[in-house]
Amino acid sequence: MRLSWARALPLRLWGGCGGPKMRGVTGIEWAARPMCRSSSDAPEPPSDHGSQNIPRDEEQGGPAAFAAALEELERAPGRRLGRLELVAAALAAMPALGVARQLDAYNRLLRLLPRGPWVPRGPLHRLFAPFPRQQECGLQVLEQMERYGVMPDAETRFLLLAVFGPRSRPVRKCQRMLYWLPRMLHANPYPLPAQLPPPGLAAACLGLRRIANDPDARLSVYQPQPEQGDNEGSTQPYIVGIQSAEQQELLARHGPEHPVFVEGPFPLWLRSTRLFYYVLRGDPLPPHLREPPPDPERSLYYPLYLDLDLERGPWDDDEFDVNEVEEGPVFALCMAGTGDQRTLAKWIAGLQQTNPVLGQTPVIFRLGDGDSSAGSPGDGDALHLEGSRAAELEPPEVAWGRRAQGEG
Amino acid sequence: MSGFLVRALRAALPGPAAVRRLRTAAPRPAYAKELFLGALRKEEVFPYPEISNEELQEINQFVGPVEKFFAEEVDSKKIDRDAKIPPETLKGLGDLGLFGMQIPEEYGGLGLSNTMYARLGEIISLDGSIAVTLAAHQAIGLKGILITGTDEQKAKYLPKLASGEHIAAFCLTEPGSGSDAASIQTRATLSEDGKYFLLNGSKVWISNGGLASIFTVFARTEIVEKDGQVKDKITAFIVERDFGGVTHGKPEDKLGIRGSNTCEVHFENTKVPVENVLGEVGGGFKVAMNILNSGRFSMGSASAGMIKKLIEMTAEHACTRKQFNKKLSEFGLIQEKFCFMAVKAYVMESMAYLTAGMMDRPGLPDCSVEAAMVKVFSSEGAWACVSEALQILGGLGYMKDYPYERYLRDSRILLIFEGTNEILRMYIALTGMQHAGKILTDKIKEIKKGNIGLALQELVNKVRDSTGRKVDYGIMEERGGLVHPSLQESGKKLEENVYYFGTTVRGLLTRFGKTIVDEQLALKRVSDIVINLYAMTAAISRASRSISIGLRNHDHDVLLTNIFCSEAYFKNNYALAQLQKYADENLDDYIKKAAKQILEKRAYLCSHPLDRTF
Repeated sequence: MRLSWARALPLRLWGGCGGPKMRGVTGIEWAARPMCRSSSDAPEPPSDHGSQNIPRDEEQGGPAAFAAALEELERAPGRRLGRLELVAAALAAMPALGVARQLDAYNRLLRLLPRGPWVPRGPLHRLFAPFPRQQECGLQVLEQMERYGVMPDAETRFLLLAVFGPRSRPVRKCQRMLYWLPRMLHANPYPLPAQLPPPGLAAACLGLRRIANDPDARLSVYQPQPEQGDNEGSTQPYIVGIQSAEQQELLARHGPEHPVFVEGPFPLWLRSTRLFYYVLRGDPLPPHLREPPPDPERSLYYPLYLDLDLERGPWDDDEFDVNEVEEGPVFALCMAGTGDQRTLAKWIAGLQQTNPVLGQTPVIFRLGDGDSSAGSPGDGDALHLEGSRAAELEPPEVAWGRRAQGEG
Repeated sequence: MSGFLVRALRAALPGPAAVRRLRTAAPRPAYAKELFLGALRKEEVFPYPEISNEELQEINQFVGPVEKFFAEEVDSKKIDRDAKIPPETLKGLGDLGLFGMQIPEEYGGLGLSNTMYARLGEIISLDGSIAVTLAAHQAIGLKGILITGTDEQKAKYLPKLASGEHIAAFCLTEPGSGSDAASIQTRATLSEDGKYFLLNGSKVWISNGGLASIFTVFARTEIVEKDGQVKDKITAFIVERDFGGVTHGKPEDKLGIRGSNTCEVHFENTKVPVENVLGEVGGGFKVAMNILNSGRFSMGSASAGMIKKLIEMTAEHACTRKQFNKKLSEFGLIQEKFCFMAVKAYVMESMAYLTAGMMDRPGLPDCSVEAAMVKVFSSEGAWACVSEALQILGGLGYMKDYPYERYLRDSRILLIFEGTNEILRMYIALTGMQHAGKILTDKIKEIKKGNIGLALQELVNKVRDSTGRKVDYGIMEERGGLVHPSLQESGKKLEENVYYFGTTVRGLLTRFGKTIVDEQLALKRVSDIVINLYAMTAAISRASRSISIGLRNHDHDVLLTNIFCSEAYFKNNYALAQLQKYADENLDDYIKKAAKQILEKRAYLCSHPLDRTF
């Protein structure tokens, strides 16, 4: 159609009234067309490019294929029509090709857009929401950058200014991204490393260190010996445990007369890897047993306890929190290859080397998230209670999860 | 005016020399603990304690030879360089009797009172290593025998210790136990026949460890209590090197006081006869506390002596060196430094001799809090003054050819040993709080319970306090007052601060109760205030006496006192304002929050100033 202004109007604006329907495919249908090739859908891809080497194996050459396609387009820009559909298709293809986190790809994509024609002419033009579909296209590019945490560059900003003009929605969004994205990227006080180890021993160590969050905690890998019934040299499930010195002291003070519980499995998600951990904990002790009684001969230089009958007033009590629930102490954590009681019993046996009190403390296994009933407490760790299987958890259904896995 | 003179003359009557009377009543809380209640006990501090003319002449007779010895025969530079005190010097010190200054004359010592001990300490402090060696020997090493020893123990050990033939050391610190008495690992087990103990363990950082032959060792023993319970308690022993099994490591290489011998001492199956137990078995904690609390006050006079010498040396330099065609002494910043040093020295001296005088009074008052205050003020004052003196000399002060850097290194240990300043601040504040809390508990509980009458009275008091109230403790009366009229302003400031401090302590106890033990930042402010109050009192008392009896340069005394009191008044007011509830000046919460974040990550958290995000 010759009506350039008609093309500029949005198709569905303010509930239906919009530009005239064009004969042929509309922009949305263009974008929804399934991709027959992994490269972008140029309306008329030039066919005589024998000099170009598009690598056949797409798995390794994903980014290279994208770069090659962009080079083609830069060389032969194509018609004026279909640029928005081109950009939309390219954006859809980027995650599959593995270039979604590269700023360079977005910049080259933006360079395909025309500079100048989409800049509104004057404040009066700006009043009427000019070039909405074009600006939405720019916004989609920036939104994808935001979703993948890519920071716009000075070059990006320059291109957006050239294509859309100052005070346009993409440029405003770029400014906002430049303000918010660094904050969001630094928001996590415990960031995960960029490359996660595959699920297994290394991931279990990482997960345990994350939960413990204590630089003094000691991580131990217990190597269980094959038992009598198994073959010699069979692979035993790994057991990784973590405990800090304070937890050891607490366990020693917990005493053999109070039982301790092994609970689990609890899930821990590291991006898209799921790990299960088990907890050794005890019930909270009555207040008079919690701390050792004050010893008046403890400090040589100044009194550690004042012998007064005055308590702290309620307005100055900073440690009181209405939402805080009294929980018992956690003595150790572990992650095991298999979650059955025999493996966990081997973990307790390994813990006993550093915590001799576990030899006399009754250990009760509450696997399966608490649906097993606690039997009569006995001595040692040779309890054989019925622990049901852990409830199977389904990973959450998120589309980007699959894409992240596809990137490796 | 005549009232002052008469009072001063009456007070100049001969006091007790070195005879310690029997304690017939419970020890009075002396002066500092009463400050926490807002009560100023004037009879303790006014007039300034004096010694009789005979005593003064006696001490001046001692001072002469000691000064001569230190001027001529002590080469501090050589001691510092070689990290060793030459044996001739030690012999000379023994001949002068400096090894037994506080040992009674019947055992061969000089039998000096606390005041005279402080006076001699002024001269001995000219060399830091010698001062520390002597202090480790008598202020802590043999103090245990002096205080808690039986007559046989005293007769056996004190004569040789007094002459310097044997040197004593105090063995308490272990690698895992600094001020924590519960973590002492050295063990003493009773033998089967009950005649001796077997001592096993090792002690670290023992001054005189390599030279000493008599050690006061603290070890854990099992004692069976009356109800049959077996407990581990600390016991003090007198251990001779001849008992066998006593070895010492090599001397530690230290930053300052390099001449003093500090090393590890190891005890391996040392046989200690039962007669050598100090005090009773299991009573070592009290013995340790008494020893540690009694030797601190002499640091005040020692630091003052050092600073006085530094002022002389530095003034000589400042008045001769010319820059920009002006003498250094004409520049305001240099003048400020000299005034600072003089004020600090004056206040340190006043506090030290006031405390010594109070301790010398009959009745053996318990001046451990005052001694701790003297130690804190003097150690920090000495460090600041030596730093300023070095600064006045500029580059010359930094060179090893001049003694300033040695004084600086030697004075750094003052803040650490004999109880670190942080711990002593806690001690001062908590002891005072304990005392005040005992007396105020009932009143506070009544108010908290909701007694309307008392609550209204408190409200009225608060309103009167905030709108302006006249405070009168009776030291500023017209006739027969205790403070000279030229010190009127300082006296008024002291009274105001004392009253305000009393109300603030009340407020703190009401808010925190016994959990104030955990509020160290508030306690630090409390102890800073009370140290300043004691310092102001000492300075005012001494200046009052000085101007009343007409000592030389008494107007300079008054001037220094007024300067110090004004500064201390403002600092106290600021600290008291910080201690009020919801005070804007109080940054404790922010400080704790920042510290928590830093310690969580165990690093400095902020990004580098050159980091970029895009």
